[in-house]
Amino acid sequence: MSRYFLIRIGQSLLAIWGIVTIVFVVTRMLGDPAVLLLPLGTPDSQIQELRSSLGLERPMVVQYLDFLGHAVVGDFGLSYQSFRPAMEVVLERMPATAILTASSLALGAVLGAATGFAAALARGRFLEFVVMCFALAGQATPVFWLGILLVLFFAVELGWFPTGGWDGPASLVLPTMALGIFVAANITRLFRSSMIETLSEDYIRTARAKGLMPRTIFMVHAARNALIPVVTMLALLAAELLGGSAVTETVFSWPGVGRLLVQAIDSKDFPVIQAGVFLIATIFVCINFLVDLLYTLLDPRIRLGR
Amino acid sequence: MLKVTCGLVGRLMRRIAWATGTMLIAGVALPVQAETLTIALSSSVNTLDPTQAQVVGTDVSVAAHLYSSLVARNADSKLVGVLAEKWYPEGDSTWVFDLKAGVTFADGEPLDASVVKWNIDRIRNPETKSRNRAWFDPVSGVEVVSPTQIKIHTKGAYPTLPDQLSMIFFLSPKWMESHNPANEVYGTGEFKLKEFVAGDRLVLVRNEAYKGVASPFDSVVFKIVPEPAARVAAISTGEADLAFDIPLEEVERLKGGGKTNAGWVASSRSMVVRMNTAKPPFSDNVKLRQAVNYAIDKQAIVDGLLGGLGTVSNCQIMTPAYFGYNADLKPYPYDPEKAKQLIAESGLVSGTQIELQVPMGRYFMASEISQVVAAQLQEVGLDAVIREYDFSSWVQPYSRGEMGAMSLMGQAWPTLDADGQLGLYASQNPTAYFKNADYDAALKAGRATNDPKDRLVHYKQATEIMCREAPVIFLFAQPFTYATSARIEWKARGDDWIRAADVVLK
Repeated sequence: MSRYFLIRIGQSLLAIWGIVTIVFVVTRMLGDPAVLLLPLGTPDSQIQELRSSLGLERPMVVQYLDFLGHAVVGDFGLSYQSFRPAMEVVLERMPATAILTASSLALGAVLGAATGFAAALARGRFLEFVVMCFALAGQATPVFWLGILLVLFFAVELGWFPTGGWDGPASLVLPTMALGIFVAANITRLFRSSMIETLSEDYIRTARAKGLMPRTIFMVHAARNALIPVVTMLALLAAELLGGSAVTETVFSWPGVGRLLVQAIDSKDFPVIQAGVFLIATIFVCINFLVDLLYTLLDPRIRLGR
Repeated sequence: MLKVTCGLVGRLMRRIAWATGTMLIAGVALPVQAETLTIALSSSVNTLDPTQAQVVGTDVSVAAHLYSSLVARNADSKLVGVLAEKWYPEGDSTWVFDLKAGVTFADGEPLDASVVKWNIDRIRNPETKSRNRAWFDPVSGVEVVSPTQIKIHTKGAYPTLPDQLSMIFFLSPKWMESHNPANEVYGTGEFKLKEFVAGDRLVLVRNEAYKGVASPFDSVVFKIVPEPAARVAAISTGEADLAFDIPLEEVERLKGGGKTNAGWVASSRSMVVRMNTAKPPFSDNVKLRQAVNYAIDKQAIVDGLLGGLGTVSNCQIMTPAYFGYNADLKPYPYDPEKAKQLIAESGLVSGTQIELQVPMGRYFMASEISQVVAAQLQEVGLDAVIREYDFSSWVQPYSRGEMGAMSLMGQAWPTLDADGQLGLYASQNPTAYFKNADYDAALKAGRATNDPKDRLVHYKQATEIMCREAPVIFLFAQPFTYATSARIEWKARGDDWIRAADVVLK
């Protein structure tokens, strides 16, 4: 068992290293940031000077080794734009993203589980059709469009919530709804099919034969087992959302990581891009690792089957 | 079973409604503040460090509230004194600034001539790595005459130095020993920083130590709202008092709203289609360059695409807000017949493909404008082909002097002076794509003196040459749209500066 985990940790580190390396190469292919950083009409000599003070005139290999050496200890250099440590710039945007992720996952999970459950139970009836239509629509609706509609209705028409920004719990409601609906749509469909599959298992028939209350069968025997893939899905969605959802963040003026990274790419702020991608990759890998762990705990077959 | 689930869902909905209600109360129950002005910025504030601030619409404007400059440009595009009482050239290579006495930092440290010198020298020092050092390249030295007088010596004349100094703010040398201006603020401006939530907002409150005219606002909030629809929403609900870059179709609606107001002003940015006069087909072919100017119906683009918001450029890349604007020039009229005739005379081999490059995501309606331009060029028989580029992949070859035959772009110069704006076409500039000895000479002459009357003569000449030689298709001044809440009035300005001082409380 411990050997398995050692291998998994090794794989995880390898994955992070690979991503960071790819990003390093890709950012260098974006072109020269020095031209973008200086005012129009700056003499060539000063552009050259800036380039060398950023260390960009050195051979790629030297830059790469230097970058790796510092990245290992968490030093990604100073942001070209804000002149502060790049990791700090990324980390200060993390709380906003984390809160939005948590709230929309919670809303999405509850809503998705409830509707998915309802759809599974109402199999073949009109309710299922309605629920699935909503789920499909929810998944197909672009988040920015839904977001703007929510703002227009709840903020501009009704005046219930602020239109955007990050100022108090009220400002969290609309972005949570927009992302939560997206999450819920995913969960609904998954949970429904997982429920239907579980309900056709032998042990459910056994339970019915035993004369258990339908409620017990659904809630205890079926739902619990059907939740396993949902947990995986939620974890993956969490990892995805923690990378910041640039579109939602833009619509709601939410100061999260996604918007920061898009802006960093636009302005070729290499240190911020690298720090951000490193952080997101690490989170993703860690969550994946945890899911694997969780699986072995949740499902004895995986644990015992090796 | 259905009942069970419905009950569950119902209960859940009630829970949510209840939770929403409580949050709502929490949101509404904010303490009512004294007068607060909320300004929605369209993009993020990058740095608080005033020596690194470059973007007028965000970083520089915010710095201007927190720090003082020697002079500032007001909404009528006149320079007014801030730290400086008055300023004047002495000969052709010295500017004298008389400073107001008694300006101090919070701890009583005076902001006098020696502090001004320390700051300018700091920016000029390559060690500081200030991105704005190029502005001071023509400066040879700074001399403290007395605590209230400073002389800035320049290599030759530097007529635009006062304009450039409107973007330079002064830090405390003592404070700088142990602080980093990228993280903290310690200035002598009208406001001081209360809160900075990266990517979201800056909250500024009145600086009691400020001795100038007191602002009617106790607090100024800069909110970052990158999405245009969200800015419209924020203005509609009264969450923001002032917002910019409002979608054209919303301007009319917000104007008539009663609760809101909106409008537009010609910005200092001129949209042009640049031609690469170093390469065929536009090299040594002034007839062809004039022909394309005749071929484009500028007014139709303004009316059709911009809904009438915009002013056609008067055959120059400056608006009347610029020093050096030439009021005598008129746009090339729309005359496709004349264009065809000139093309025939130009000796252009028919079937020559002309690339029109379009950098995306930078200029207003770039894609739409370039399509109309290309279509009108095709109407007079030119084979114009649009190529859209991501801005950063367009700017690399452009800055190396490898632009294609034509490129759509917008050009502005923050000092609103012909010297900078026309200088973009001076042949020593790697991105000039234009070489004309008379033009260069006129610019050089305009820079050689600090006397404004004399300079105007040279810029009149330079703009005439540029109009005639047509290194660009002169299009229009990009409109700068804005919207306000009903409680304020904004002295609209098109030079990107955003100042609480331009806002009047009704």
